[in-house]
Amino acid sequence: MGGSATAVAAAACGVPEKELLVQAPLEMPEDLVTGLDNWYATIDRQNRNGIGIVVRVMEGRAKKIEGNVDYPVNVGKHNAIADAGVQSLYHPDRISAPLVRTGERGEGNWEEISWTDAVSRIASRLEGVSGEELVLVTSPIGGHMGSVVNSFTDAFGSTHLQYEPLERTVLQASIKNVFGQDVMPDFDIENAAYVLSFGADFLNGWVSPVRFGRGYGDFRHAEGRERGTFTHIESRLSMTAANADDWIYVKPGYEGVLALSMAKVIIDEGLGDDAAVASLTQNGTNDLSQFDPSNVSAVSGVPAQRIREIAHEFATKRPAVAIGGGSAAAHTNGLFNLNAVHSLNYLVGNVNKKGGVIFNPMPPIGLPVGSRSSSFQQMSTLSDRMANREVKALFVREADPFYGMPSSSEVRKASFGVDLIVSFSGQFDDTTAMADIVLPEHNYLEDWGTDVPDPGPGYQVVGFQQPVVRPFFENRGGHLGTKNFGDVLITLGEILSNPLSLPGDDVKTFKDVVEQGARSLYGLNRGSVKSDDFRSFWQGVLQRGGWWDTGARYDGPSPTPPALPVSPQEPISGSGEFALVPFESAGLSDGRTSDLPWLQALPDPISTAVWHTWVEINNKKAEEMDIREGDVVEVTSPRGSIKALAYPHPGISPDAVAVPIGGGHLGGGRYSKERGSNVFSILEPLTDDKTGALAWGATRVSLRKTGDWVRLSKFENTKPDISEDTHRKIIPLTNG
Amino acid sequence: MADAKWGMVIDVDKCTGCQACVVACQSENNVPINTEDIFNQRRAIEWIRVERYWEGEFPDVKARFIPVLCQHCDDAPCEPVCPVFATYHNNEGMNVQIYNRCIGTRFCANNCPYHVRYFNFWEPEWPDTLTHQLNPDVTVRSRGIMEKCTFCVQRIRRTSREADRDGREIEDGARELSPACVNSCPTSALVWGDFNNKNSKVSNLAEKEMSHNGSHHGRGYKMMENLGTSPNVIYLKKIDKHAKETVAHE
Amino acid sequence: MQEHVQLTQKQINEDLLTSVLGTPRWWWPALGFFVLVFLIGMSAFGYMLNQGVGVTGLNRPVFWGAFMVNFVFFIGISHAGIMISAILRLTQAEWRRPITRAAEVLTVFSLMSALMAAPLVHVGRPWRADLWVFPYDFARGVWINIRSPFVWDPSAVMTYLTASTLFVLIALIPDLAIIRDRSTGLKRKLYAGMALGFRGTPRQWKLQTIAGILLSALVLPVFVSVHSIVSWDFAVQIGPEAWHSTIFAPYFIIGAIHSGVSAVATLMVVMVWAWGWNKYITPDHLDAIARLLIIVATAWFFFFFLEWVFALYTLEPAEMAMRKLQVFESPWSWLFVVFLFTAYFIPVPMWLFRGVRRSLFWMFVTTILVNVGMWLERFLIIVPGLMRRSEFIFDWGSYHPSIIELAMVAMTFAWVGMGMLVFTKVFPLIPLFDIKEGMVGRDEIRIGRRIVPASIRE
Ligand SMILES: Nc1nc2c(c(=O)[nH]1)N[C@H]1C(S)=C(S)[C@@H](COP(=O)(O)OP(=O)(O)OC[C@H]3O[C@@H](n4cnc5c(=O)[nH]c(N)nc54)[C@H](O)[C@@H]3O)O[C@H]1N2
Ligand code: SF4
Ligand code: SF4
Ligand code: SF4
Ligand code: SF4
Ligand code: SF4
Repeated sequence: MGGSATAVAAAACGVPEKELLVQAPLEMPEDLVTGLDNWYATIDRQNRNGIGIVVRVMEGRAKKIEGNVDYPVNVGKHNAIADAGVQSLYHPDRISAPLVRTGERGEGNWEEISWTDAVSRIASRLEGVSGEELVLVTSPIGGHMGSVVNSFTDAFGSTHLQYEPLERTVLQASIKNVFGQDVMPDFDIENAAYVLSFGADFLNGWVSPVRFGRGYGDFRHAEGRERGTFTHIESRLSMTAANADDWIYVKPGYEGVLALSMAKVIIDEGLGDDAAVASLTQNGTNDLSQFDPSNVSAVSGVPAQRIREIAHEFATKRPAVAIGGGSAAAHTNGLFNLNAVHSLNYLVGNVNKKGGVIFNPMPPIGLPVGSRSSSFQQMSTLSDRMANREVKALFVREADPFYGMPSSSEVRKASFGVDLIVSFSGQFDDTTAMADIVLPEHNYLEDWGTDVPDPGPGYQVVGFQQPVVRPFFENRGGHLGTKNFGDVLITLGEILSNPLSLPGDDVKTFKDVVEQGARSLYGLNRGSVKSDDFRSFWQGVLQRGGWWDTGARYDGPSPTPPALPVSPQEPISGSGEFALVPFESAGLSDGRTSDLPWLQALPDPISTAVWHTWVEINNKKAEEMDIREGDVVEVTSPRGSIKALAYPHPGISPDAVAVPIGGGHLGGGRYSKERGSNVFSILEPLTDDKTGALAWGATRVSLRKTGDWVRLSKFENTKPDISEDTHRKIIPLTNG
Repeated sequence: MADAKWGMVIDVDKCTGCQACVVACQSENNVPINTEDIFNQRRAIEWIRVERYWEGEFPDVKARFIPVLCQHCDDAPCEPVCPVFATYHNNEGMNVQIYNRCIGTRFCANNCPYHVRYFNFWEPEWPDTLTHQLNPDVTVRSRGIMEKCTFCVQRIRRTSREADRDGREIEDGARELSPACVNSCPTSALVWGDFNNKNSKVSNLAEKEMSHNGSHHGRGYKMMENLGTSPNVIYLKKIDKHAKETVAHE
Repeated sequence: MQEHVQLTQKQINEDLLTSVLGTPRWWWPALGFFVLVFLIGMSAFGYMLNQGVGVTGLNRPVFWGAFMVNFVFFIGISHAGIMISAILRLTQAEWRRPITRAAEVLTVFSLMSALMAAPLVHVGRPWRADLWVFPYDFARGVWINIRSPFVWDPSAVMTYLTASTLFVLIALIPDLAIIRDRSTGLKRKLYAGMALGFRGTPRQWKLQTIAGILLSALVLPVFVSVHSIVSWDFAVQIGPEAWHSTIFAPYFIIGAIHSGVSAVATLMVVMVWAWGWNKYITPDHLDAIARLLIIVATAWFFFFFLEWVFALYTLEPAEMAMRKLQVFESPWSWLFVVFLFTAYFIPVPMWLFRGVRRSLFWMFVTTILVNVGMWLERFLIIVPGLMRRSEFIFDWGSYHPSIIELAMVAMTFAWVGMGMLVFTKVFPLIPLFDIKEGMVGRDEIRIGRRIVPASIRE
């Protein structure tokens, strides 16, 4: 513009042509930053798998969360969910003192009481309650909090269920079946040349997205390696599918036979490792003929030619790794599917090798791993017991079963059979809304803890969580405000004269437990922090955010490949025109982060929708059904129906619909309460027949237009057609 | 730092569309909360945004992502049109914004071909407690003014001041200097640094990936280069072995 | 055959001072209406100041809307004054006499309205706009960016406003002297002050005439530059498609003349209807202005056509997409049709008929239509241009003005109405001295077989 004109003139007169600068005579405020800041290392608790974070603190307030560069799992990286942690710390609807219910259960009338009062009320109501009748439901807990909870359940003889809606039971069972491992192995995608994944949305929500995102970056482009090839097989175009070189649509529940078909191709063509083939086929006695691509093609919806091509690529582009999980596990034949998928790894000889499946050692100092979820079957047994008044007291911490369980209304009803429900939540989630007493725990940024990542990076890691700020409600005095969950359990043990067995005599508080744990690590005298005295060791682990020993790797036996699961199971599913694919959107996780405005406002990668629950439907199919974007449709399963706004797009099969998880909270704070619809509530309580895990992908639904229209809020602007970069001005492509 | 020329290289082939960068930027830069109404009014603010484009129909369908932020154009069309010098080029190659000069003509936003300038149509609001999360290094913009990506200039200022004080050099790619979005990106799709430092990662990538006098052709391109804006952001093309058409036409 | 009525000086004084010396019954209600609309607009403005520009329909990417349209529109209307006064004065077109002042006053008030539309209500922080419109803060080094068309705009508009105000004032001096001589008391004192001691001496007349002619000549470049500069608000941008066009400056100027002259014609009809000045503004005058309008409108249409030729010639995809939107997609498509018909295809063919040209009613209707069309023309340049201005289909969006915004648009129109009404109460809207001068110099000359009115010149 003006600049270039002047530049041309200047060039003509012999002035060297350079960027024309017109410096404003004033400075911007950002030029004049003042004040001192500190970055503290701790562990993120927003993601289901803890990652190392550093938190910027100024004047006692947490300002910004970033990845901890030292921490082995995420090496400085983090994601949107971790970043939004400061909003959970400063959330306007946090509970700032113990509450006792005043009206009827679930009515929402509360009165603040002091901690002593609250604890003594609980203690008095626990009089005469047997250990059997006290049930503790938490999210999967590892590290030292896990130990304390274990001591509590030991002391009381009570049941402990580790609940999360998208449980990892099937995955863990499959890892055990196929690899004989008790802890999750790492999938070393950064060193793989070929990644074949079935249903695992590992870049978005599955297991450890930050860790896999980091690996994916290197897998695509890194010094000293060729660009990797990635094929993703899933019934919906998830964010991960969108990033694959090839996304292959498979009929929901047929991932296992597809994997076996690929195995057959590899074995037939002699591309697999001989020893593994022998073991997998029981020396050829297993009959794989039924998995011929031409047969499988018919049931799975994947062309036979494609099956052969992918099998070929997988077997020849080594190192290759096969990952199974997510929606592949969410069927009544989930374990079969995952076993079949994970078995493929043996064929390409990548087990416990660079670029393949890397086994993890057991955590040091006897710490529990943090991802042992209880199965849905166990949870529904609990629900039945509650309905039968067999549960007298229910303690809930960091878990929201009344939101995430299918037919949650029945579970909520069952809760009326329980005398005392205590929630430890700092937020009004759906379960807390039904509680009798709320004992708000500290936010994770105000709290102590340790974490054993699962999967770890291939060696022992213990992450250390420390308070980066003083508890926000500290100013309310010691009798109000929030407390550490472990400390409350310890106090309860004391009051009820069931003292918890704590590791050491001077150990009185949860912080002492953590410190004692550090002492044990110090005693190992190995790993990332070495020191002559414990004080500086302690400071060292807190500064670096944890302790790890790159030498402490899996040293168990190499597993022998088990026989391929050759008797296929048909997935069972309900009736209805469409397969329902529930999925995690970018921000809301399994519903636990729905109350953070940044995450509600984070556009879903595929639909760019925000703040709503929508239903993704194939654009052609929608046209047929005369459904347009924003049409309110009723999604009906045999268990009930929800309303959602239609979002037609080309990335989904005409016989499936997809609904994001995370909407429709009945409790919740201002940003999530009664916003959108809860897709869990219409899931059929079908389970994987081996593990009892919820088959959350097995529900079928029908759609009905209600005739209403609501504008679907989304980042993408309104326009009549599908947004396409027709002239490649924005995203030019290259062949390589 | 006076001689730096900051810039970014974005590898579209690495970007997964996860939007960690989006929240990282909102958190670092006090970007107001985009409520449902704001989205419906099409006034959402995302200094860095991730766009998704479709290609094809089921089952041969692709969704492609690209992060778009201010390109810090050397010949920035937004700059000459601002009547009050609220947006200008500084001597580190960045397009910067002086909020307290801006009177909100929105001229610059019209003239930015990349649509990365965002106007505060309303007074931003945070519930009381959420104000604790605000970054004191960054102005909280009021209604009626324009805002956009600053390359997290406050980090550059703070870090260089502290480096000056301690008499040390700042390394290329130092975390405390890098913008929030760059630090967050799980796949390292975003690389940021000084184009004037010939050893920096961005310089090396530019050297490797941009064509020089037709002698070498890498994946590098500048968005809408034909407009003559000379961006300081280089994109690396997405690789698609099935790409039917790989040459952009004007 | 043109009519020829000879009027006495006394009668002229009586007729033309009715508006100043008496108050017709409709005057107060009319003023009340305009004041009311103005106040409603001002309240809307206050609300917007308090809430933010969010109360308008503006959004991303349509950052400019009705306010900018209004700005361009009123700058366009303001071209009436100079076109009629300066050009017709310099070319000594006789029929200009009764309408020069009305046109000039219209210029002054519509320029004020333009300034009200932008920068006042358009910008996000009007309370800071002084920095830009009146750059004064040199001491702190707070300086303006002279590369920005938004700096050229206020300089051009302020220059134009100053020149037009002087124009009006200088032409008023002899008439003020007349009113002074016909009033008493305080009023007399006031008019005496404003008349600057004008006694009608030959030297005073000479100075007044020279000043008028000089100003006419000096203001002409301003007249050309103002709307050129306004067009550059758009033409220098590379962002929106279809704006960066070299034809914009002349296209905008001719468009401005089209709407400005039409507005004057509307005003002439209103003056006859309101004060019964049919002896001064005769069908001859309407006929003359309508003939002028045919030429102006067709010249404008030629530029409009050229703009499309240039657009179609390049076949640039983004521009084509924008044009497609303008012409084929509702509601722009029907706005486009309305615009074409109101700005050209209805009025111009009608003006070809003598009966229409000489009819108060039809001239009123057609000239109003022209300005409806010309408002739409600017709307159709600005809004679709911004809507479909890029490859980023993510950023496509629509726009419709909000009620609050429309209230402020109405306010700018009410300001003109209010200003004109108050002006007529204080000053004569038809220059007495000019009419008298015309009477004195009137003659008839024979051209071939026809006898036509003519005037003798100094
Ligand atoms: N030594 C010497 N000097 C002379 C003359 C001579 O013969 N010898 N001849 C004289 C005469 S007759 C003339 S006309 C002048 C000509 O003098 P200039 O006008 O300076 O002409 P050029 O040097 O041909 O081109 C000017 C620039 O325009 C660029 N350009 C080309 N196409 C475009 C376009 O589409 N858009 C834009 N923005 N730029 C473009 C070119 O790359 C070049 O950098 O020189 C005069 N001076
Ligand atoms: S502290 Fe801020 S507001 Fe006060 S005088 Fe200084 S710059 Fe101005
Ligand atoms: S990208 Fe837009 S805002 Fe950034 S420098 Fe370029 S023109 Fe200005
Ligand atoms: S909106 Fe602000 S920064 Fe942009 S041109 Fe207007 S005054 Fe300048
Ligand atoms: S560089 Fe900084 S300001 Fe710009 S998009 Fe990234 S985080 Fe935001
Ligand atoms: S954080 Fe990185 S990978 Fe994620 S969307 Fe942003 S640029 Fe892409």
